[in-house]
Amino acid sequence: MSVFDAAAFRQQFPFFREQPAWIYLDNAATTHKPQVVIDSLVQFYQHDNSNVHRGTHQLSQQATSQFEEARRTVQQFINAAEPAEIVFTSGTTAAFNQLAFGLMHTVLQAGDRILISALEHHANIVPWQLHCQRHGVIIDVIPLTVDRQLDQAAYQTLLDSKPKIVSLTQVSNALGNVLPLAQMLSDAKAAGAMTIVDGAQGIAWQRPDVQKLPADFYCFSAHKLYGPTGIGVLYGKRAYLERLTPLQGGGEMIEHVSFSGSRFNSLPARLEAGTPHIAGALGLAQAIKFISGFDAQQINSYKGLLLKAFHNGLQHIPGIQLLSSRHDNAGIVTLNIQGEHPADVAALLNEQHIAVRAGSHCAMPLFEQLAAPGALRFAFAPYNQLTEVEQCLAALAQAVEILTV
Amino acid sequence: MTMAQLITDTATALTAIRQQDLPQLQQPQDWQSKYRLLMQLGKKLPPIPEKMRQNEWLVKGCESRAWLLHYYDSRTEQHFFVLDSDARIVKGLLAIMLCFVNGLTRQEISTLDLQRSFDSLNLKPYLSQSRGNGLNAMVNRIKDVVAAH
Ligand SMILES: Cc1ncc(COP(=O)(O)O)c(C=O)c1O
Repeated sequence: MSVFDAAAFRQQFPFFREQPAWIYLDNAATTHKPQVVIDSLVQFYQHDNSNVHRGTHQLSQQATSQFEEARRTVQQFINAAEPAEIVFTSGTTAAFNQLAFGLMHTVLQAGDRILISALEHHANIVPWQLHCQRHGVIIDVIPLTVDRQLDQAAYQTLLDSKPKIVSLTQVSNALGNVLPLAQMLSDAKAAGAMTIVDGAQGIAWQRPDVQKLPADFYCFSAHKLYGPTGIGVLYGKRAYLERLTPLQGGGEMIEHVSFSGSRFNSLPARLEAGTPHIAGALGLAQAIKFISGFDAQQINSYKGLLLKAFHNGLQHIPGIQLLSSRHDNAGIVTLNIQGEHPADVAALLNEQHIAVRAGSHCAMPLFEQLAAPGALRFAFAPYNQLTEVEQCLAALAQAVEILTV
Repeated sequence: MTMAQLITDTATALTAIRQQDLPQLQQPQDWQSKYRLLMQLGKKLPPIPEKMRQNEWLVKGCESRAWLLHYYDSRTEQHFFVLDSDARIVKGLLAIMLCFVNGLTRQEISTLDLQRSFDSLNLKPYLSQSRGNGLNAMVNRIKDVVAAH
């Protein structure tokens, strides 16, 4: 088996040529884009620009067929049963807002419960809160154990209260944990729940097979998978997508409109009101083709290598409080320096051109539990290099020295 | 620690900062030294005790939190402040800002050009976007409390 050629991979990303001074470790926020993705956006606007699904002219037909081809690319990537199960959204957040809105009344009635976890991103918390409060639906939360893993025993107990929906992240954006989803989702299904996966972080770690994974819905954003911002996917098994009330009304999503009422179009159009992000969808398809050209296993072992080097180096820096786990980690290291505010450390790293995120990473409830004012997050991607890991460690040591001496 | 004492200690600290630290900050030096200075001068401000860090005094920055206490001397029409932050670099920047603001009247504060004052210290490159926003949030809070008097 050949090994992953990290240098060749990095070569595909023009950002690193443009910004040679920066070490980019904010990959959980967004990844950089390879040239093929950038080219596909330019190509569309420069040569192919037209609206989809509405023109009789050839240009619109071509744009439509490219757009639908992109949908098929996504379908194949996650192994959905049919293209209609791929709904384009503006991202994971939009997908969750559609889900929370769309499942009220059709699935969730007053007094029903839904179950999420303590590791969730705000995108898998706040949309539920917005709608659940008004409709009298109760939100339960799977707590963490002392070692910051999901408490599986508590999960089993919470399943006993028969949640209608179990909605979990594949990978924690704050701590990098890879959740044991296969098991957790089958337990949820066995308890009679509908299952939703937040794949925003997970999609770049492990490509899901949505026919094997007992997930009724799976959401992700293109921009964390080397694709453009403003486009994402709400996957759902047909029977489940059919149960969603559309959040957005407008053009494209209807079959017949009169002032006394409208009949909705079929899937996926029913859930895609208005002109979609056509170029974005094409960019996402390119990103998928790009990443499919590499062996996922090899990529992940390479990331494991970077992570190991980083963890080893951290042992030589005084005062490190590691919050993320060393095992089952998708490439995210979260830490604090004892007695220091993460914002201070991040400012000193920024001064040394290390891009990391400091704060509560859109997971405030998690940080409340951890009793931390936030943390620094180092999120690695396969274009990062061992030399960057070393430079980052040196910069961190420098920051600690400035803060504590 | 009483409010009166905090006000006095802050004013004393600001005098020291104006005399010792600000001239030093204006000297050309590497970024490491500049940050060290910033943090040192932040330390000179008396900390606001935990029990006085109430929510109504909280000023939210992007990544860190800060607190602002205010005292108005109606006899001299001067406004006095005490501030603190849980992040040291922010506290240093806020301390510098306070050097320009503390003890001014409402009229003086409304015409103050803080941006200019910071520029004059060659500190602008050290105000990253979010810290800049934290500073802006604090300046806006100061203007609000002053306007209310
Ligand atoms: C786990 C997780 N869920 C959801 C989101 C939201 O994604 P987006 O901002 O692209 O909608 C993110 C992004 O930070 C995330 O990490």
